[in-house]
Amino acid sequence: MLAYTLTRLVYLALVLAVMSVLIFLVTQAMPGDVASMIAGQFASKEVVDAIAVKLGLDQPLIVQYGQWAAGILRGDLGRSLVLEQPIAPILMEALARSLVLAVVALAVVAVVGIGLGVLAAVRRGKLTDQLVSGVSYLGIAVPDFFWAIVLVLIFGSYMKLLPTGGYAPLSDGFLPWASHLVLPVVTLVLMLLARIARLTRSSMIDVLQTNYVKFARAKGMPESVVILRHALKNALLPTITVLAIDFGLILGGVVVIETIFSYPGMGRLLLFAIQRHDLPLIQATILVVSAAYCLANLTADLLYAYVNPKIRHGMKAA
Amino acid sequence: MMTAPQARPAVPPVTAAASAPEPAPLLDVRGLTISYGNARGTLRAASDVGFAIRPGEVMGLVGESGSGKSTIAMAILDLLGGGGRVESGEILFDGTDLRRLSAPERRALRGDRIAAVFQDPFTSLNPALTVGRQIAEPLIQHKGFSPRQAAARVQDLLSEVGIRDPRRVAAAYPHELSGGMQQRALIATALGCEPKLLILDEPTTALDVTVEARIIDLLAKLCDSHRLSALFVSHNLGIVNRICQTVTVLYGGLVVETGPTGRVLSRPAHPYSKGLVAALPRITAGRRHRLPSIPGTVAKLSGPPAACVFAPRCPFAEEACRSRPQAMLTDAAGDGVRCWKADALAGIPWPDEDAGIARDPKKAQPRSAPLVEVDHLRKIYGANRSILPWLRRAGTVAVEDVSFTVGRGEVVGVVGESGSGKSTIGRALLALTEPSAGTVLFDGADLTRRVRQGDQDLRRRAQLVFQNSAASLNPRKTVGDAMDRPLVLAGRADAEERRKTVAGLLTRVGLPSAYADRYPHELSGGERQRVNIARALATDPDFVVCDEAVSALDVSVQANILNLLAELRDEMGLSYLFITHDIAVVSHIADRVLVVYGGTICEEGPTGRVLRPPYHPYTEALLSAVPRLAEDGQETPRILLEDAAPTPGGQGCAFAARCPRKLGAVCDEQAPPVHRTDDGHRIACHIPLATLAERAAVFPELAGDAPH
Ligand code: SF4
Ligand code: SF4
Repeated sequence: MLAYTLTRLVYLALVLAVMSVLIFLVTQAMPGDVASMIAGQFASKEVVDAIAVKLGLDQPLIVQYGQWAAGILRGDLGRSLVLEQPIAPILMEALARSLVLAVVALAVVAVVGIGLGVLAAVRRGKLTDQLVSGVSYLGIAVPDFFWAIVLVLIFGSYMKLLPTGGYAPLSDGFLPWASHLVLPVVTLVLMLLARIARLTRSSMIDVLQTNYVKFARAKGMPESVVILRHALKNALLPTITVLAIDFGLILGGVVVIETIFSYPGMGRLLLFAIQRHDLPLIQATILVVSAAYCLANLTADLLYAYVNPKIRHGMKAA
Repeated sequence: MMTAPQARPAVPPVTAAASAPEPAPLLDVRGLTISYGNARGTLRAASDVGFAIRPGEVMGLVGESGSGKSTIAMAILDLLGGGGRVESGEILFDGTDLRRLSAPERRALRGDRIAAVFQDPFTSLNPALTVGRQIAEPLIQHKGFSPRQAAARVQDLLSEVGIRDPRRVAAAYPHELSGGMQQRALIATALGCEPKLLILDEPTTALDVTVEARIIDLLAKLCDSHRLSALFVSHNLGIVNRICQTVTVLYGGLVVETGPTGRVLSRPAHPYSKGLVAALPRITAGRRHRLPSIPGTVAKLSGPPAACVFAPRCPFAEEACRSRPQAMLTDAAGDGVRCWKADALAGIPWPDEDAGIARDPKKAQPRSAPLVEVDHLRKIYGANRSILPWLRRAGTVAVEDVSFTVGRGEVVGVVGESGSGKSTIGRALLALTEPSAGTVLFDGADLTRRVRQGDQDLRRRAQLVFQNSAASLNPRKTVGDAMDRPLVLAGRADAEERRKTVAGLLTRVGLPSAYADRYPHELSGGERQRVNIARALATDPDFVVCDEAVSALDVSVQANILNLLAELRDEMGLSYLFITHDIAVVSHIADRVLVVYGGTICEEGPTGRVLRPPYHPYTEALLSAVPRLAEDGQETPRILLEDAAPTPGGQGCAFAARCPRKLGAVCDEQAPPVHRTDDGHRIACHIPLATLAERAAVFPELAGDAPH
């Protein structure tokens, strides 16, 4: 397991290094000149050039990249041009908010989605199954933002039960904080739930037909043990992978959701940076999102290996 | 009409004297009718099935696939599933009708009083739980053991089923164990709660022959020492002969014969039983005659039969058989047979197939250059040269230095168990895998190089028929389309001409040409295998690799396909590499046999020579594991091998870890020398040839035959 984790970490570092180069190149290629933006519309050419020199923009690309990458390795993400502040604290704050949203949404999706999937598989072909499957189709067919709008209309504007957007820090008290989370979380859950439920259902159905499940029944195990201990543990393997990918997706800031609910997470930060052409902020945000995505995948793989002894031992032997 | 003349045939105990009171049966199945229903209609899997198992008795339930034997076993366990339904009948266990119990009551019996072991140990254990935990489960569930008590009992159980380091095995996950060990773990699970009845559903079918021999031995001992009763479901009469006291033969969901094993197998009364016994491949030296086979496929009933179910396949059928269903007739001894002609047919064997075109093996011996030459072939899988040091891997040796030839028109058998490298050898000969070292010459040309250069002609001339006839055909393509493809690839442009070729090929393998329009699922296993053979022949090859080509088939069908392959060889002058785990099958078709173990050839020679001493120790063990019927002569003592896995790629003899005659360190450290004789027989072993020759023949009846 250790060797495997090590290998994966080496790969992770490689992937991130490549990503950083790509991010750097692509953002540099974006239209607009950073120095003249900072200097303002009416600055003279000398002023602009001076700023460019100060920022190191006159250096060859490779040197600029080197300085940027070295800064990141030191934990210095640079300064935001627009906000005129160091990027790291801004980013961490947004990341923390997005993390809260992602973790809560993911937890709900995992529990409810897996539960529904198992239920549908066990009652395969019966009414419960058909209900779950039918609703799942609906969930997949309808675009993400539709739910967001519907929810905002019903709970926010119409019933005035919940805030329709914004964010309250935990220091304002638990209830205000939580109430701001409800709508975005529910929207995210609705988006992801169907896929998880359907996936769990189909792998559960496969597992329920295996010989070891038959053998567990032949041993006289109660149906609850057969399903939870013998079937579910094996059926969860594909679900775990997809959940991890979803986690990365949410973290990447499902921009639409954060925008609709004016939720100040990574997605909104990225949008802001792009609109204002804040190059260092764009680069740092995308890099952090990529890193989070990769980490989520790594966690999934490690979890997968942990649940699946075949892989776990294969790694020991390696 | 379906019921026996007496309500129940009175079956006197086999062992007890006639005067002793008959013990009440432990399991008494009466009038059991099971059907499977789906949208397309109902299928009767069992019709009015009755049998009884007395305490301490092991009863064999035999029949071809589709005969309903597994369905009956599952019905007793209340695990039918898949739309199966018990229509009527009683399943009396210890006097209680299981069908009258509630579902929880039946569940409480399962795993406690009635335990089961299924066919495939590789999939019967949960991959995500340790073996020990899985064995402990029923103890905790039924006997109220604490996990700690259960763990202690698990160790005892594992020792009892012959596992030497129970502590390690209990902590292991299933994939860390060999198939034999997994099956032992399942048997330990079944024994845990000290059941009275074991349901054994083909418990050794998925295992290697040498492992099977040990498991059967273990089961027989356990049943004896625990006075266990068992229902032993099997298609293998040889195995049934070893472990069962009585036999019930099923055909088309009906019991067609019951009686003591010895009597049924030596003097079968029902024509179907006669056919099953006759079709069993025996060890014979040379291919003198065709194997008897049962033509046609198993009957499928949807309701009560209107005629003798076996009539369409019965060589003794006459008009009277087709006009009414047959009743179970019981003789004085209590043996039953469902055939009105049984008495008249007593002593009349299943008819031999006409000798046909059996050729004289001597004349066919090729004198010209061999078709295939394999020289120092070596194959390593999974070698990895990574820059990351912890990922570097030496790889697994599948084939370690193998050399042999296949002559024109010659059939070379390759016998070995899983992990012997036999399939890899076959794939290398078809250029489906590249050798890591060594060469394969096909008709004098370097196969690997030529194929890499895009030589399609060599591919055309060498074809493959493999085991799983269902998986090798695309379910969405008709037989004709499947066979059309190789023809198109071979550059045959004219569609009309191709259609004719397909029809011709189907006729050639004994199928109606109209089968071209059928889909694979409409065919039986044997028919599908015929289609596979026809497809392999489509490109007019010289050489066919048959990889376990008959292993998945019922004995009756197996004989059929073997006969077909033999015919095709004689008519078309084909060469075969016939890969199998079953040395008895090989003895029917091969001119020469290679015995492989752990990627090396232990013994090679003309079939007749390999079947007689001197034997390589592994060949001797393989031969002694071949199940035999009483009429074949005295059973020689079986050589039971350890469960250890082969260790290919090591320094010494690959068989050293399991060899019962191992000499000592020399076997571990030095590759064994090869003893050769003039008639092309070679044995790789440290034991001198003269000493090997001193062993008694496993098949003394062969001794008289002159080696050819
Ligand atoms: S009743 Fe007739 S057809 Fe049926 S098994 Fe007997 S002889 Fe054959
Ligand atoms: S060389 Fe040694 S271990 Fe190998 S078969 Fe001969 S006696 Fe057995």
